[in-house]
Amino acid sequence: MDKNMLAGLEGLPEQDKARMTSMIDHLQLRDSLRMYNSLVERCFNDCVDNFTRKNLQKQEETCVMRCAEKFLKHSMRVGMRFAELNSQAPTQE
Amino acid sequence: MAANNPLGIDKEQAFGMAETEMEYRVELFNRLAQTCFNKCVDKRYKESELNMGENSCIDRCVSKYWQVNSMIGQLLSAGGRPPM
Repeated sequence: MDKNMLAGLEGLPEQDKARMTSMIDHLQLRDSLRMYNSLVERCFNDCVDNFTRKNLQKQEETCVMRCAEKFLKHSMRVGMRFAELNSQAPTQE
Repeated sequence: MAANNPLGIDKEQAFGMAETEMEYRVELFNRLAQTCFNKCVDKRYKESELNMGENSCIDRCVSKYWQVNSMIGQLLSAGGRPPM
């Protein structure tokens, strides 16, 4: 996603390029924080159902780790496919 | 002046449009990722790797989601705007 956005900045005056880069950085930061929150919520919902103890049980911990790793791998894969589709001609049927 | 700026868009508007477009792309990506994860990945999390079936499902899901996105885009730009 980043490469596509940055490539389009070539040929712009420095001031405009700086402004666009700053905009992109801001969007990326915001997106990372959102992903963090949504990942926590997802893995909590999928892995934690038992409230007889206040500490996570071993099996809940394992589940959360797998959930997070799986989602991150998934997200990377989606990113690859997304970039491929994005770089095709806009008028694809 | 008209020759340099045929659409009459000033720089501020251009930045605004670029920002909106970027936000839209980010949102599209996030929704796509959430949706395809929900449809393709087993929530029992038996392991931390994606298995072959999940991988295929993800690729196909992304492809189809993209097609739906294009279809709706075309429909909306052909004047199918909801009444205000």
